[in-house]
Amino acid sequence: MKWIEKYSTVLRISLQNTFVYRSNAVGGLLFYSLFIFVFFNLWRAIYQGGEVAGYSLTQMVWYLCMTELIVFGCKSSVFGQMNEDVKSGSIAYQLNRPYHYIIYQFSNALGGMIFNLLIYGTMAIILGLIMVGPIPGFRISALPFGLFSAVLGITINFFFMMVLGLTAFRLEENTAFFLIYQKLVFMLGMFIPLEFLPKWLQSIARCLPFSYVAWAPARLIVAFSWDFFWQVIPMQLLWIFISIILSVSMYSYGVKGIQAHGG
Amino acid sequence: MKKFKNTFRLIALYFRVNLSSALEYRSSFLLQAFGMAISNGTFVFFWWIAFSQIEGRIGGYDFNDIMFIWALTSSAFGASNILFANMTRITRIIVSGELDTFLLQPKDALISLLCSRTALSAWGDLLYGFVLMALTQGADSMAWLMFLIGIVIGGLLMTAIAVTAHTFTFYFGDASLIGGMALEFIINFCIYPEGIYRGFVRILMLSVIPASFIVHLPLSLARSFRPGFLLLLIAFSFLYCFAAYKFFYIGLKKYESGNLIVTRM
Amino acid sequence: MSAIEVRNLNKLYRARVKEEGLKASFRALIRPSYKEVEAVKNISFSVEQGEILAFIGPNGAGKSTTIKMLTGILHPTSGDISVLGLDPTKERKQLSYRIGTVFGQKSQLWFHLPPTDSFTLLGAIYDIDKMILKKRIEELTECFELGDLLKTPVRKLSLGQRIRCEVAASLLHSPDILFLDEPTIGLDVVVKHKIRELILKMNREQGTTIFLTSHDTGDIEQVCRRAVVIDHGEIILDQPVKKLKYDYLNRKIIAVRYDVDQHMEMPKGVTLEKAGKMGARLSVDTHICPIDEAMRWIISHGGVADITVEDPPMEEVISTIFSHQAVTG
Repeated sequence: MKWIEKYSTVLRISLQNTFVYRSNAVGGLLFYSLFIFVFFNLWRAIYQGGEVAGYSLTQMVWYLCMTELIVFGCKSSVFGQMNEDVKSGSIAYQLNRPYHYIIYQFSNALGGMIFNLLIYGTMAIILGLIMVGPIPGFRISALPFGLFSAVLGITINFFFMMVLGLTAFRLEENTAFFLIYQKLVFMLGMFIPLEFLPKWLQSIARCLPFSYVAWAPARLIVAFSWDFFWQVIPMQLLWIFISIILSVSMYSYGVKGIQAHGG
Repeated sequence: MKKFKNTFRLIALYFRVNLSSALEYRSSFLLQAFGMAISNGTFVFFWWIAFSQIEGRIGGYDFNDIMFIWALTSSAFGASNILFANMTRITRIIVSGELDTFLLQPKDALISLLCSRTALSAWGDLLYGFVLMALTQGADSMAWLMFLIGIVIGGLLMTAIAVTAHTFTFYFGDASLIGGMALEFIINFCIYPEGIYRGFVRILMLSVIPASFIVHLPLSLARSFRPGFLLLLIAFSFLYCFAAYKFFYIGLKKYESGNLIVTRM
Repeated sequence: MSAIEVRNLNKLYRARVKEEGLKASFRALIRPSYKEVEAVKNISFSVEQGEILAFIGPNGAGKSTTIKMLTGILHPTSGDISVLGLDPTKERKQLSYRIGTVFGQKSQLWFHLPPTDSFTLLGAIYDIDKMILKKRIEELTECFELGDLLKTPVRKLSLGQRIRCEVAASLLHSPDILFLDEPTIGLDVVVKHKIRELILKMNREQGTTIFLTSHDTGDIEQVCRRAVVIDHGEIILDQPVKKLKYDYLNRKIIAVRYDVDQHMEMPKGVTLEKAGKMGARLSVDTHICPIDEAMRWIISHGGVADITVEDPPMEEVISTIFSHQAVTG
C-alpha cells in the first residue's frame, strides 16, 4: 500500500536525522544518568524507613529507570513544533502536501522516539543492573508485554502533546497548559508510583490519562501480572483512541478556520 | 579594597540598567512565574507524601529541613540570575565574539559580561524561597540568618560554578554542553538531603560540586550553630569564587592569543 | 609622538584541526594535529595624530586581526605595537579609556533600551564626569543629528540609525583614536555616505585619529587620506589615497543590455571584456574616457534595456595592485 511506503520513508529519514544530533544524545544520557543516580540514593534512604507501597527497593529503582526512559528519553518536540506551525501559519501550507499532517508528524517523531528508546533503554538496563542488580523473580518472558505497554504510553504522551500544541489555534499562550500536563504526568506516575499516593488520589488518577503514560508500563515491567495487564492495556488503548480523535478533530477544525479566514 | 568598591558600583549600575531593560517584557514573566510555582508545588507535594508514608527522617532530614534547603536553593539561584544572568550564556558570548565588546571596555571583563543581563523570572525564584521559609521555618531566627547568609554565598557559588564550566570553552571550543549541565547538576544535588549519599559522592559535594556548601552546611548551622563552621563556609566560598575568577582569566589569555579551536578570524 | 607605531608585527595562528567523525575525534584527543596560519606577516607602519587611515584588503587578508592586536584583544606572536605610547597587550585597560571602537556587527548599545540609557551606562563605565558627559551627549546629538532617536529603543531603529548611534557611543569619552572595523558593511549607499561624512567631521572638528578597515572601495575614496593595502597578511601598498585613486581606481565596469543587436566601435578608453548576443560588459578607463562620456556613447546607440555601473571588485583592485607591484618590484 502506497501510504505505508510514504510514511515509512518519513520514518526512515527522521531516524537517519537523529544520528546527526549525537551530542544532544550524549547530553541527554548524562542527565538521565544523573537523575537515576540521585533517585537511587534518595529511595535507598527512604527505604531505610521500611518498604513502600508494595515495591521493593530494587523494583523501585527499576521503576524509576523505566518511567524516566519513557517520559524523559522518548520525548518529542511535537508540542513546540505544532505551536510554531500554527502560530506562524505555516500549517496552512501543509494543506497542499499530499499527506495528512497528523500522520506525518507522528511518523516523523517516531524515528527519533525509536532511536531514543533503544539508546535510553540500553542505558536504563546498564544503570539498573549496576545499582540494584536484576529484580528477583523477574521473568524475561513478561518483558515484551511491558514494552508493548511502554510503546502505548509513549504514544499517548505524543498525541496529548500534539493536542496541546494544536490549542494554539485558539489560545495565544498555551505554554501554561503544557507545563500543567508535564507536571501531572510527573506527579501521577513518573516520579512516584501511583500506589504511593493517598487512596483517594489513586482512584482519581486511574481515570485520567496521565498515569497511563509512565506508571502503567513501568509497573508492568517491574511487577508483571496478567491481572494488571488486562486492567491497564484497555485504558491505554482507550486514551490513545481519545487523544487521536482529539488531535484529528482539532486539526480539522483549526484548518477549516484557516481556510475560511486565511490564517 | 578600592577594587571591591568599584566592582560593587559596577554591579549596581548594571543592575539598574538591566531592570529597565527587562521591564519591557512583563508578560512572559507571569508565565515563567506560573511554571516555577507549579514545579515547586510538585516537589512540595512529593515530600509531603513521602513523609506521610515514612516514619522518621529521610537521609537525616525532616520535612522542615528539606523545605529549608529547597528554599535556599531557589533563592540563591534567583539571586545569581538577577545579578549575573549571563552566567548561562558565557559560551555563546565567547563563540559569537561578543566577548570582545567587554574586553574593549575599561572595566573588569568578567563582571561586565556576567552583569549585562538579568532574568526577570529570577525574582520569582528569589521570592519563592522567602515564602517557603516563612511558611515552614516560622520565627526561627537562626534559620533566617543562615538563609540570608546562604543566599549571598550560594548565589556566588552558583555563579562561580557556571563560570568554571563555561571557561572550558576556551580550551575545547564549545563547552555549551558542560555549561548547560553544570547548574542543573548542582541544583539536583542541592535539593535532596545530604545523608542519602555515601562515600565518594559526599567528598564531591564538598569540593567540585559544592552543593554541601550551598545548602547543607547552612542548614546544619541553622540547626546547631558553630562559629568555626561558619568561618569554614565563608572561607571555602571565597576560595572557590576566587579560583573560578582566576580560571576564567587564564582561559582568557588563551583566547587572546587567538588559539581557540573555533578560529573566528 | 605618533598615534600608532607598528614594527615587524606578526600573528601566527595555531589552530587545532578537528575532522568530522568519531574516530577522528579520538585521534585528535591523543595526537592533535595543528594547522598554522600566518594571518599577519611582518608588517610595519605608523600613523600620526589626526590622520585618517584605511586598511584595505579582501576578506581574510588580516585586517581584523591587525585591528584586534592594535586594540589589545589579541596578542601578537611577535613584533612591537605602540598605541598612544602604550602597549595594547600589557596596558589594555589604560588604553581603552583613550580609544573608541566600532566593530561592525558587535554592538555597544543595549537592544531593548533607548540609546540615551546606553550612553549613561557607558558614561559610568568610562568614568566620565556627569557634567562633561551631558555636554558631550549634546554635542554628539547635534553633530550626528540624533535628536528623536535618543529616546527610541534601539530595536526600533533602522540599521543606519543604529550605526549612527553606535559611532556616537564610541565617541562619548572623547577618544584620541577611533577604530572602526568594517563600519559600513551591510548598509545602503545613502547611509554609507552619511556615516562617512560623520567620520570626516569628527576628524575635522576634534582631531580624532581614524583607523578603519574595509573592503569597500567607496570607503577609500570618500573617507581616507591614506590607504594601506593588505593582502595575505602583508602590506603591499601604503600610499596617499589620491595616488591610489589615480593609479588603480580609475576603472569602472559597465554592463549593458540592448534590445536589439548592436555592433559598435569602442571609443578610446573603453575595452570590451565580454560580449553576448545583445549585451556586453565593458571596462572604462576614466582617465581616458570620463564616465559621463562613456554613458552618453552607450545610450546614444539607443534601445538600452538594462545598464549597471560598478566599481571593480576589491579583489580585482588588489590583484591589479599586486601584479603592478610585481612588475615594478
